[in-house]
Amino acid sequence: MKVRFWGTRGAFATPGSEFLRYGGNTSAVEVTSASGARLLLDLGTGATEFAKNLMGAEYGSGGGTLPVLLTHTHIDHIQGLPFFTPFFIKGNKIRILGGQLSHAPLEQVLQTQLNPHYSPLYGLENLAAGVSVETIGPATSLPVEGFEVAADLMPHGGIDTLSYRISADGETIVFMTDIEHPEDGPFPAAVKLAANADLLIHDGMFSDVEYDARKGWGHSSVSQALACAEAAGARSLALFHHSPDAPDAEIDEIVDELRARASIPVFAAAEGPAFPVSPRRASTAPGR
Amino acid sequence: MRISFWGVRGSYPVPGPNTIRYGGHTSCIEARCDGGGCLIVDAGTGLRGLGHKLAEAQGNRPCHYHIVLSHVHWDHIQGLPFFEPAYLEGTRISIYALRTAADELQNVIGGITRHEFFPVNLEAVPADFEFNEVVPGQKVQAGDFTLMPIALNHPFGAVGYRVFADGGSFAYVSDTAPFTDMLHKQHFLAGPESPSDDDMSQLRAMEADLKASLKGTDTVIYDTHFLPEEYQAFPHYGHSTPDHALGICQGLGVRRLALFHHAPGHTDAIMDKIGATYAERGSRVGIDVVVAQEGMTLSIGGEGTA
Repeated sequence: MKVRFWGTRGAFATPGSEFLRYGGNTSAVEVTSASGARLLLDLGTGATEFAKNLMGAEYGSGGGTLPVLLTHTHIDHIQGLPFFTPFFIKGNKIRILGGQLSHAPLEQVLQTQLNPHYSPLYGLENLAAGVSVETIGPATSLPVEGFEVAADLMPHGGIDTLSYRISADGETIVFMTDIEHPEDGPFPAAVKLAANADLLIHDGMFSDVEYDARKGWGHSSVSQALACAEAAGARSLALFHHSPDAPDAEIDEIVDELRARASIPVFAAAEGPAFPVSPRRASTAPGR
Repeated sequence: MRISFWGVRGSYPVPGPNTIRYGGHTSCIEARCDGGGCLIVDAGTGLRGLGHKLAEAQGNRPCHYHIVLSHVHWDHIQGLPFFEPAYLEGTRISIYALRTAADELQNVIGGITRHEFFPVNLEAVPADFEFNEVVPGQKVQAGDFTLMPIALNHPFGAVGYRVFADGGSFAYVSDTAPFTDMLHKQHFLAGPESPSDDDMSQLRAMEADLKASLKGTDTVIYDTHFLPEEYQAFPHYGHSTPDHALGICQGLGVRRLALFHHAPGHTDAIMDKIGATYAERGSRVGIDVVVAQEGMTLSIGGEGTA
């Protein structure tokens, strides 16, 4: 499997020269298997760049199929949807899978995002591609072609988010963002979902000092991320969902400090080329 | 009066190496009158940085902020939940916007903070919000500034503003299509629709009103999202070109035109070219054309009798 980070930032996109190495786009991660299967995790602003890349392939002529797995619908995780160009090409088949994390069903939330007040698209029905919105919950096996996918609910402030365990080619990655662990240690379902993963991509929004002032916001400190990865026996850890107030130099410092006490390879997710999941190479993943 | 650009991009924020100089944040402008009063024009992603600056300047002293909106498409309101002063008890925020449907402004603007989209609901934010409906052609006072709302041609409706203070004025004209295609109708546009005779007379009247409203203003900030060849492909998107903007401003005694709402795909290199091309075209008709750039501040003079 290969992973490509199209958006790594949390909460708010960060244009500007001090965010160039780790990137300023919000959550979007592409996963591909050796056999050519592909899926997208989240539809943050990073998805707009991913979309341009897809348009050169079969998606430009309406022959593309793509599963999209949403962690939740906070706007930084879906704001790329109205600008995801494969949606505008007739013939493309795009499945959006996500949880019903409030009283409003997933489809209704996306319809609200596109309603005429907020968007000239007026609604999902105006996207030319075939778009299906599928509400999912915790599952040991989701029907996503080319991958084994499991999902479970994680605590994120007042709501739950979905984390995903994705396997193919004898490797496993786990995408776990917008999660805050309990004070007494890693959330048990998180440790279970991430068990023995080759790569755990985990919410690392706050340094330990920042986290102390932001308990209850629904995000992890980098120490919580590492504790979860080590408890799960993950083989490598990518910090994700970087704070919009953390320029490149600050992320460098956070990673250096964490590496000094980590028993596994640790790096900060960075926008850039696809890289193989295997832990041997992951330690030299882009960013640093 | 001075104006500073905090966000100049259209549609969505664009981080990365190609937008470093002109900026990647969406619509947000700070106007300051000589007495220090502040007006915020649009609340795109640029508002977050402005909010940090204002919060730092105010310290723990709450203040009354005035935010005027062109319309409520995401790229023009997305910064609101991240406006730091809103989280200080005692802060007052007056919002001025067009009501485009039966829904109350508070529900529409507050809708982006519902917990599906954002962790903190508008009602839970410490600041007191006040929502004011604007009507094209009817003057409204926002703190030290007098605003004249102007109807624009954009899907579901939008308004521009001529903003008066200190005996001078500028105008904000974004988002709008030219007045040849009908766009402000309240239904989805899959493609260009040929306007009826009624539509055409309405568009001509809108254009005439816009021109009358811009007469003698110092600086016009105009939606110039597209280049002409791009506009040909997407005339139903509700945006203009620099040629449309120059066409509107010509002969009205406008001193300066600021190109604004840059397309997400327009890199710094493309913006340099656009700037050079239209500076030259502007000079032929006596208008100083500049490209709006994050961090840029302009001094405003001109006529300002509201």
